[in-house]
Amino acid sequence: MNALAERVAAQGVGSIFLYTNEAHPGENYPHHTSMEQKLRHAQALRDVLKVTRPILIDALDGACHRAYGSMPNMTWIFNRSGFPIYKSDWTDTRSVANAIDYFLDVVERRRNQERLAPFRVERLDYRIQDQEAFYRGLARNGPKAVEEFRQAFG
Amino acid sequence: MLDADLLIRYNYDSFVPEKFEPWMRFDESPPLGQPAPDFSLTRLDGTTTRLSEIWSAHLYTIVEFGSFT
Repeated sequence: MNALAERVAAQGVGSIFLYTNEAHPGENYPHHTSMEQKLRHAQALRDVLKVTRPILIDALDGACHRAYGSMPNMTWIFNRSGFPIYKSDWTDTRSVANAIDYFLDVVERRRNQERLAPFRVERLDYRIQDQEAFYRGLARNGPKAVEEFRQAFG
Repeated sequence: MLDADLLIRYNYDSFVPEKFEPWMRFDESPPLGQPAPDFSLTRLDGTTTRLSEIWSAHLYTIVEFGSFT
C-alpha cells in the first residue's frame, strides 16, 4: 500500500493509514486503555511496519472505525466531496490499485468531454492468503495473540 | 464524554469470538455515493485533524484502517 500511495500521489491521490483498536491484543501490544498508549502503539507501528503514509489515530472509543463497519483491515476511497466511492472489508493492494486507476481514468475521460454518470457495482475480489506472514504478525504482538487466534480458527 | 462500557468492549483484551464478532459490521457501513460521516482524528504528533480535512485536500483519498495485525 505504501508503494501504491507513492505511485498515485502525483495524480492528486492522498493516502492515510488510520490506526484502530488492536485486533489481536498480545503481551507486546495489548488492548488500549488510554489515548497516550494508543498514540505510542501507532508510533511503534510506523517504525515496525515501516508505514510511510501519514498515520492518523482514531478516538479511543473507535468512533470513526465503528461508523465505517469496524473491520480490522478495511480500505475506503473517498472523493473530494467526502463521498465514499470504494469500500472493501479487507485490504488488498491489487484491488485498491485497480479501483484507483479506474477512478483516475474517469477524471481523464471527463477531461476528454465524455459525459459520465455514476452507477453501483458489486464485485468479489481475491486476496493472497499468507498464513505464515499472518502468524509472524501475531507473534510480533505476543504469544497470547497467537494462541487466541489458534483457538478461534485453528 | 466517553462511555466506559463501550471503551472496554471496543478495546477488547482477548481475541475470542464473543468479543470480536460483534464488531464485524461491514454490512452496516455507510453506502457508496452518499456523504460520509466525518470524525476527529489525531496525528502522530498529538495534534488533531478531521477526516473531512483529509478528503477535501485531494482528488481522491485512500484510507486503510488497521492495527499491528
